[in-house]
Amino acid sequence: MRQVWVVLRREYIERVKTKGFIIATIAMPVLMIGLIGLSAFLSIQAERADRDLALVDLTGQLGESVAAGMQAVGYDIELVDRDVDLQEMDRRVNEDEIEAYILLDDLTLQEGTFAYRGKEAPGTVRRALFENVVVETVLELRLSFAGSAEGLRGLLAGGRLSFESLGEERSELERVSGMATGFAGAFLLYFTMLFYGAYVLRSVLDEKRNRVVEVVVSSISPWRLMLGKILGVGSMGLTQVGIWVGCAALIGLLGVPMIAANWPAVDVGELSQLLPGPGPLGLLLVFFLLGYFLYSSLFAAVGAMCSTEEEAQQAQFPVMMLLIIPFILQMTSIEGSGLPWMDWAALFPFFSPIMMYPRAVVGAVPWWMVGTSLVLMAAALIGTAWVAGRIYRVGILMQGKRPTLRELVRWIRQA
Amino acid sequence: MTEHAVHLSGVTKSFGEHTAVSDFDLEIPRGTILGLLGPNGSGKTTTIRMIMAILLPDRGTVELLGGFPDFARRNRVGYLPEERGVYEKMKVLEQLVFLGELRGMTRQIVRRRAMEWLERLGLEEWANKKVQQLSKGMQQKVQFIGTVLHDPDLLILDEPFSGLDPINQDVLESIVREQHEKGTTILFSTHLMDQAERLCERVCLISRSQKVLDGNLKALKRRERTGAVAIEFEGDDGWLARLGIMNPTKVDDTYHIEAGRGVEPERLLAAAVAERVMLRRFELMEPSLHEIFVRHAGQPDPEPALAVAGGAR
Repeated sequence: MRQVWVVLRREYIERVKTKGFIIATIAMPVLMIGLIGLSAFLSIQAERADRDLALVDLTGQLGESVAAGMQAVGYDIELVDRDVDLQEMDRRVNEDEIEAYILLDDLTLQEGTFAYRGKEAPGTVRRALFENVVVETVLELRLSFAGSAEGLRGLLAGGRLSFESLGEERSELERVSGMATGFAGAFLLYFTMLFYGAYVLRSVLDEKRNRVVEVVVSSISPWRLMLGKILGVGSMGLTQVGIWVGCAALIGLLGVPMIAANWPAVDVGELSQLLPGPGPLGLLLVFFLLGYFLYSSLFAAVGAMCSTEEEAQQAQFPVMMLLIIPFILQMTSIEGSGLPWMDWAALFPFFSPIMMYPRAVVGAVPWWMVGTSLVLMAAALIGTAWVAGRIYRVGILMQGKRPTLRELVRWIRQA
Repeated sequence: MTEHAVHLSGVTKSFGEHTAVSDFDLEIPRGTILGLLGPNGSGKTTTIRMIMAILLPDRGTVELLGGFPDFARRNRVGYLPEERGVYEKMKVLEQLVFLGELRGMTRQIVRRRAMEWLERLGLEEWANKKVQQLSKGMQQKVQFIGTVLHDPDLLILDEPFSGLDPINQDVLESIVREQHEKGTTILFSTHLMDQAERLCERVCLISRSQKVLDGNLKALKRRERTGAVAIEFEGDDGWLARLGIMNPTKVDDTYHIEAGRGVEPERLLAAAVAERVMLRRFELMEPSLHEIFVRHAGQPDPEPALAVAGGAR
C-alpha cells in the first residue's frame, strides 16, 4: 500500500504543480462565464446597431403610440408625416440615411400586419419586439372602442399554467432545481470522466514512451502502479472540481446577500432553494467515483496498448463512444426522463453516470433502479479493472505495433 | 545465504515464432562480476528481464538471491535497463527520491544518499533542475544513481556503457569496481568485448539465443590458448628460419609465432637456448575475448571497429 501511495503522490504533485493544471483550473470557469457573457454581449451589440428607423402611419391612428412603444424598447423612431412620398422614403433607405421604415396601413388596423421596408431583414429579436408593439397598440385601440381595455390586459399578456401535483410533494422550485442539478451534473460527469480519463491515458503512455516503466515495474507490481496512477489523477481531478465548487459556493455566498440588498423584489429564500442540496451533491460524488474508475481503467488499458500519440488517438475512439452516446441520449431528454427505454439504457454501467444521475436527481426513476445501477457499475468496475490490469501488465513493456483484438485476448488470458 | 546471486536453469522464452532464449543455464556466484556478452539481438536483454521477473520464462526456473524473484528480492537489486528512462519533467532529486521510496526507503535517507551520489558524480548543482534540462550523459548518470541508491546486493546493468563518452565510461567503470570491492554481485551485459575483458571475473557468451561458453575469464583464456607465442630477442632471426619458420609476423621488435606453423612453444624455447639467443621476452599468447567469441560463435559485432572506438551503437 505504501508503494501505491508513493506513486499516487508523485502523480498528484507532478500534475498539480504544472502550469497546465493551474491555467485549466482558472481558465475553465473564466472561459465558461466569459463565453456566456460574450454571446449575450454580442447579441445585444448586434441588435443595437442601426436603430435609426422611420415610421409612416397611413391610418393616422396608430403612429404615435407605436412609435412610443418602439422607443420604449430602445429604437430611434422618426414619425414621418402620412403624406410623404414613399419613393422618397425608399431613397432614404437606399442611401443609408435610415436603416428601414415601417409602414402601417388599413390592414394593420384590421389584422395586425404591417410592412418593414429595408435592405436587410430584421433580426428575430427586433421582429418579435415590433410585432408585439403593433399588435398591442391595435388591440388596445380596438378594445377602447369596446369600452374596457384595462381588464383585458392580463389576458393579452398570455395565460399561465400552474402545476398542482397529485403525486409526491414536489414543489415547482424543487422540480426546476432537480432539473438544473441533473443537467449540470451530467455535464460535469461527462467532462470530468473524459478529461481525467485522458490524463490517465497520457500518463500511462508517457511512462511507456520514455521507458521509465521498466525500472518502475521492477520494484512495484503493474497492478499497483496502475492503481496509484488512477488514484493520483483522480485526486487531482477532485482537487480541481473542489476548487470550482468552492468558488461557486463563495460567489453564491457573497452574491445572495448582494442580490437581496439591490433587488428587494427577488425572494432570496426562493432563490436559494434552486441550489442543490447535500443529497444530490453526495450522489454526484458517488457517480463520479464509480464512473471515473470505470473509465480511467479503460483509458489506462488503451494507453498501455499504444506506443505513440497517434495510435492512442485512434485506439481511444471506442472508449470515447461509450461516453459520447449516453451524453447525446441525455441531451435529447433534458428533463431527465425522455423515452421509457432510455431509463433502461441508463442501467448499462458505462452509461449510468451520465444518464442515471439526472434521472435519480429529478426522481424520474424509482429508487431501486438507481440502486441497481450503482451495483451494476461496481460490478462492471471490478470486471473492467481485472481486464484492464491484465492488458496493462503486458502492454506497458511492449513496443512497436498495436496489438490486434486477438492478441489482446491472448494478453488477458496469459497475464 | 545461498551461494549464487542468480541461478537460471533450462530457461526458455519465445515470442511467437521467434525463440529469444533457448535452454539457458547460468550461475552467478555471490560477489563476482559477470559479463553477459553477445551481439545485439542475441537474447541478453530477454535473459535479464527474466531475472527481474519482468518477463516470465516459458520453461525453466529463475532464482534471484536465493528464491523466486518476488518484489522483496527484486528491491534488493539495482536494475539499469537497456532502454533508459527518466521522468523528463521531474526534478533530478525528486526523481531519485521517488525511486528510492518505491523500494521502501524512507524519504530522509533517500534524500541524503541521493545528494551524496550527486555530489560524487559532480551533479549537485543540478539536483533541483528538471531532468530534461540535463545532457544525455548526465541523464545517464542520474539513472545510474537510481540503480545504486538503495545499496543493492546485486547490480544488473544492461549495456551500462553505451552512449557514454570515454571519460564518463571511466567514471562508471570505477564505480562498478568499487561496488564490486564492497561485495556487491554485478551482472552486466555488453557487446563491447574489450570492456568486458577489463572488468569481468566471469563471462558468459551468448549467440543466437544460446549460451556458447561461460566461466572464469582467466581460466577460459588459458583453456583457449592455441599455442601461439610472442618473443623478443637480440640479434638476427636466422635461428627461426633454421626451425622452419619463414617470414614470421613482426610488430616492432616482437615476433608473433602462430600455432599453425607446427612449432610447439617448448621446441621453440629449447631451440632458443640451444642457439644461445638473448631472449628478452617469451610469452604464451592468450586469445582476446573477441577472438574466443569469433572462434565459437562467428563475428560478435557487425562493426567491431566502431564499437571499440567509442561504444557508439
